[in-house]
Parts: sequence; structure tokens; C-alpha cells
Amino acid sequence: MSRKVFAVISREFITRVRTKGFIIGTLLMPLMFVLFIGGVFIFALFFQPSTKTYDVIDQSGMIYNEFVSLLDDTLSTGEPKLVFKKVELKDGNLDSTLAFLQDLVNSKKIDGYLIFPNDILKSKTVQYAARNVSNFEEQADISRALSKIVTNYKLAETGVAPDSIRKIFKTGKVALVSHQVTEEGSTEKSGASSFVLTYILVYMIFLMVMIYGQMVMRSVIEEKSQRISETIVSAVKPIELLMGKLIGICMLGITQLVIVGLIFLVVALYGGMIFNNFGITSTDLLDIINQIHFSLSIFVFMIIFFIFGFIFYAAIFAAVGAMVNTEEEGQQFQMPIIILLIFSFFIMFTVAQNPDTVKAYWISLVPFFTPVVMFARISVSDPILPDGALLSIPLMIISTYLLLWGVAKIYRVGILMYGKKPSLKEALKWIKYK
Amino acid sequence: MALLELKSVSKSFGDFKAVDEVSFSMEEGSIFGLIGPNGAGKTTTIRMIVNIIMPDSGAIKFIGGDIVPDQIGYLPEERGLYKKMYVEELLLFMAKLKSMKTREAKGQINYWFEKFQINDWRKKKIEELSKGMQQKIQFISTVLHEPKLLILDEPFGGLDPINVNLIKDVILELKESGTTIIFSTHVMESAEKICDDILLINKGKVVLSGNLAKVKENYKKRNVLIVYEGKDDFIKQSAEIEKYNNFGHYVELQLKEGGDAQNILKQAIRDKVIIRKFEIKEPSLNEIFMEAVGADKEREGGDHE
Repeated sequence: MSRKVFAVISREFITRVRTKGFIIGTLLMPLMFVLFIGGVFIFALFFQPSTKTYDVIDQSGMIYNEFVSLLDDTLSTGEPKLVFKKVELKDGNLDSTLAFLQDLVNSKKIDGYLIFPNDILKSKTVQYAARNVSNFEEQADISRALSKIVTNYKLAETGVAPDSIRKIFKTGKVALVSHQVTEEGSTEKSGASSFVLTYILVYMIFLMVMIYGQMVMRSVIEEKSQRISETIVSAVKPIELLMGKLIGICMLGITQLVIVGLIFLVVALYGGMIFNNFGITSTDLLDIINQIHFSLSIFVFMIIFFIFGFIFYAAIFAAVGAMVNTEEEGQQFQMPIIILLIFSFFIMFTVAQNPDTVKAYWISLVPFFTPVVMFARISVSDPILPDGALLSIPLMIISTYLLLWGVAKIYRVGILMYGKKPSLKEALKWIKYK
Repeated sequence: MALLELKSVSKSFGDFKAVDEVSFSMEEGSIFGLIGPNGAGKTTTIRMIVNIIMPDSGAIKFIGGDIVPDQIGYLPEERGLYKKMYVEELLLFMAKLKSMKTREAKGQINYWFEKFQINDWRKKKIEELSKGMQQKIQFISTVLHEPKLLILDEPFGGLDPINVNLIKDVILELKESGTTIIFSTHVMESAEKICDDILLINKGKVVLSGNLAKVKENYKKRNVLIVYEGKDDFIKQSAEIEKYNNFGHYVELQLKEGGDAQNILKQAIRDKVIIRKFEIKEPSLNEIFMEAVGADKEREGGDHE
């Protein structure tokens, strides 16, 4: 690498690394994540579900008692989770009773009501009405209890004693203990903790590619709007200037990643202790922190995929910067890039849950999505490499190379064009300029 | 000895011909004026010389090939500096871009800081400096590496008269020490004072070029003012005259190329015309320019050297 490129790299790096913005940002980022995770848990504690009350009309007259005895779970506060009250039909009229219950729900005296019909064993349907019907867990509990009662009656009808059946089921039950197979053997791993870690790391890559990509764009716009470009490119080739810019700002990003990574490492190792000292003892939180194993290989992949993502997207940001004259114009023109980035972030959520599907495989090989999506797959599957992880590296290198080739040509013409900003079509014509 | 030679250099941007078949050569150690109105193609020509853009056709040659890009200093018309950098840091950066060693660069920076008496600016950020101060720093960054060829595009733009004088003196000093300088401007008055040779371009084409004194001499011989009494046949029938404007006893005329004013005078005497005044006018560069550009169409291709 020529000394000139090195001079550009160190200028881009040094003039930024010494700014207050960078120092504060670097220290704040891990704090932000810790606060974010902590916030989520505190939020969850805050919004503990409260006791729900339901009125029950048992037309069959044979379900209610057992039903209530099955649903006797309590909240962490010791209060019962669900409270049921049996009501009789008013004057034997279902419609007027329903209207009455409806009023109770509307006036928030009860949360909802259930109607067990006469022919429940035959129809196997129960009406459930509530102000809020999106509480799937609660509905599943109710449904499970009812199924059990109905099954027992059915078994009784056939003359089989429910207890003996249950015994058979119990003795035949096989427990699955989940182990993840690794080269060193197998480890038990919590699904939740690996998702939390993946989301944090992927979010960091996403955020940093965006922030540092925009930094490149602003750097290009600064040279253009302050009329610095011409002086510089009379001494270095535009492609050298562009490369120096990309490398310098990429190194800035890596510096930040390493510092943040070290802070995470400390939190991962001593996190439990730190939280204990602050009096936070939520076992869920500590479990997750303790189970996060932030392996070195994930960190290395994170840096590799940050570099890929950064160079790829920053190259497009640089082309946009070369096409516009002011930061305001840049803000407008960068939207398509940001949408692409956000899109890959959304895909990541689905892919991280099913990292081994064919769709996940192909999507993670599309260069626009690789940095975020492939890294998510790697992080979730760690320590096993998912299919295509190694293939994505040469693919990313080739596509970045081709992209840079085009961007360099647009950049070379754009940085010396002042005045009217070109249409995309005009900018693409620049590629053909000698 | 010629230092730089352009042969039929052309450059188009889309349908727009920015530079059209421009040829000239530059003497080593001279100040070469690249003169023309805004949009004439000066900056495009310079950009091709400093290798920022490539010509579509034609050749640009440094004679003897002993000039490498690092030996060129270029002060563009559109210029600016990184606002967030410190003055000394910025100059060191610019020096590195010209392949200077740090120690060498520091020596030069000291020299120029002394010369301009701006030692206390060293640790200031560019954004803290006034526009004029920034211009000085920009100028220093252009000459820091002691270029063999110095290209100045409107170097006096935005400077107050005191700084214009300061920079002008420095330009002349650099010339004395052997630097070849291209001085590009649309301000004829400043070109007239400082240049040895000139190249007038308009709409991408060369309209006039050569040694400034000779160009002037040439035009001087060609603009004649005569106050006379008698018949005007000596003017009407003269083969020496390109065009004239006769007021009866007062005529302004322009000679053809190679035309001799002495022949007109001889004919007038033969015709017994009384000559009250016979003056060969010295035109200003501005007049030369206006005339050359105005006559551009008729003279196209006829007046190149």
C-alpha cells in the first residue's frame, strides 16, 4: 500500500477517533445495550399479569368443579392466576344471562366468561368471551384443562379407568434433554440466551454499518462541498482516496467494536456479580447473562462480517455522497440503502429462529443481506458453522470488488461535479467516462 | 527549453466540447498565462495536465519526462481545506500526499510560517481561520514540496490587496528560483503584469498564443489611427488593411496579418494626402482578448502558433 493511501487512512482515522462523539459513543454503546436488556426485564417485572376473573356458565353441570381444581396456578405474588365464579342462567334464559355478563365485562367487573354447553362431550366446543382475546397462554391453559376433563369422561364412557390410562402415559413418557453437539462434545445451551446474544450482536453490526456508512458519505460530501476534492485528487488517485477513506473509517469501526467487545466480555464474566451489587437479583436476567457464552469465534466472525457489511454498504454510501452536493441531499438519497439494511435486519429475525432452512441458506448468500443475516445464522448456530458460511466469504469478496469497481468510477467523476445533482441514469453513464 | 507540450488535446463531457484541439508548449522557468473567460476550458485543460481527467484525444507530454506528478503543485480555483484539522497537521498531510518525508516537510512548514509570519497559527484549527488566512495556508500547501511546475488557477480570487501583493511577490520569487508557473485567470490586468507567455482560449479553442510582448507588438502594429486631409483612396484601395472605420478625416484601421503600416503611409504621401497624425496603438491585453474573442469566428484556425 502506498504511503499516500496510508496518509489518507491515518487522516480519516485520527481526525475522527479523537472527537468527543467517538469517545462518548464507544463508552455509551455497551451501556445502552445493558440498559436496554435490563430495561426489558424490568419492564417485564413491572407488567406482571394480574389475577383474571371469569364467570362460568356450566350448562352441562359436570365440568365446573374439576375445571376449577385444575387451574389453580398462582402468580409470583402468590395471588391466584385465574379466579372463576359459577353463575346460573337467569330465569333459565341464556340470552338475557349473556347480556348481563356482557355488561359485567364491559364495566370491567369481570375479565370474561365461559359457557360450557349441555352437549360438551359431543360438540367439544366451549364459548370463551373476554375483553382481550390475545392472551394465548391463558387460553391454551383453559383449553388444556377442558380437554383433560372431556377426555376423562370419554374414557369413562368406554369403561377404562382414567387413572390406569394416566399411569400408562406416565410410564411411557420420554423426556428430551436438549444437547447441542459440538466438536468438543456436547453442551447444554439455553435457546433464549443464544437469541439474546445474537440479537445484540446483529443489532450492533446493523447499527455500525449504518452509522459508519453514513460517516463515509458525509466525508465524501465534506470534500465535495468544501471543495477539497480537487486539491487531493491532484496528488492521489480518486480510487486511492476512496480506499483510504473506506479503510480508515473501517478501522475506526473495528476499534469501537473491540472496545465494546471487551466491555461485553467483562459483563459476561462478571455481569452476575455486578448486577448483584446493584441489588438486581431477577433470576431470569442472571440466568441469561450467565448462560451467554461470548465465544472468541463469534467475535472474530462479527468483525469479519462488520468489515464486509461496512465496505459493501459504505461503497454505496460513497457513491451517493459523490452524486450529491449537500448533506441534506445526501439524507434523501441514502434512503434506499437504509431501507435495504433495515430489510435485512427484519429478515434476520425469521432466519435466526430457523437458521437451517433452504430459504435461510439462500437469503444469507445475497450480498445485500449476507453481513447481517449470515452472521445471525453463525451466531445462533455457534459453535457449529451453518451451511454456506464459508461460501459467503468469497461471494462477498467478489461482489464487493465488482461494486467497488462501479462505485470508483462514479466517485471519480462525481467528486469534481458541482451544481445540479445527476439522475441515477446520468450517474451510471459516468461509469463509461474515460 | 520547452517543459510541457500539448498536442491537439480534446475533451468532451457528453455533448459539450470543453477543450477542442488545444495545442501549445511551455517554456521552462516562465510564467505561462492561461487566459480566457469563465467556461473557456481553462480548468479542464489544467485537470488534464495534472492527470485528474484523461483527454479524449491528443497528447500531453512533459519534455524529457523528468516531471512526475509529485513535482507539480496545483492550486485549484475551487479550493478548500478540512475544517476540523489543525494547520500544521493539515500541511503535513498535504506534504505526505506529495511523497515528502515528515522531517523535510516540517522544515518547509517552518520556512513558510516564518516567511508569512504566522507561527502562532500552527495549533489552530482551520475553521478558526478567516477566509484570507485559509487562502494563505492553501497556497503554502501548494508550494510546500517545492514543485517544478506550479499551477495556479485564479490564485488571487478572494484575497485582499495586501495579500494579493504578498502572493504575487512569492510567485515572482518562485519564478526566479526556476519554478515554471501556469497562471490561469480571467482577469486580464493581473495576467498582463505577471505573465511571460500567454495562451488565450475561448469556448475550448485556442484563439491566441505566444510571448506576451510579441503578441502585444503584433497587435500594436496592426491597430492604426490616422488623421488626414484629402482623398481616402489610400485606405479604400490598400491591400494591407483588414477593416477600417472612416469618419472622413479620422480613420481607425486594422491591418491584415503581415500587413505593413509603412506602405499605407507611403501611398498617402504619393496621393498627396496630408497626414496630421499617424499612430500605431498599443492595445491592452483586455482589448486584445476582446478582439481575439470577437473575431474568433473569422480567424478560426488562422492565428495559432
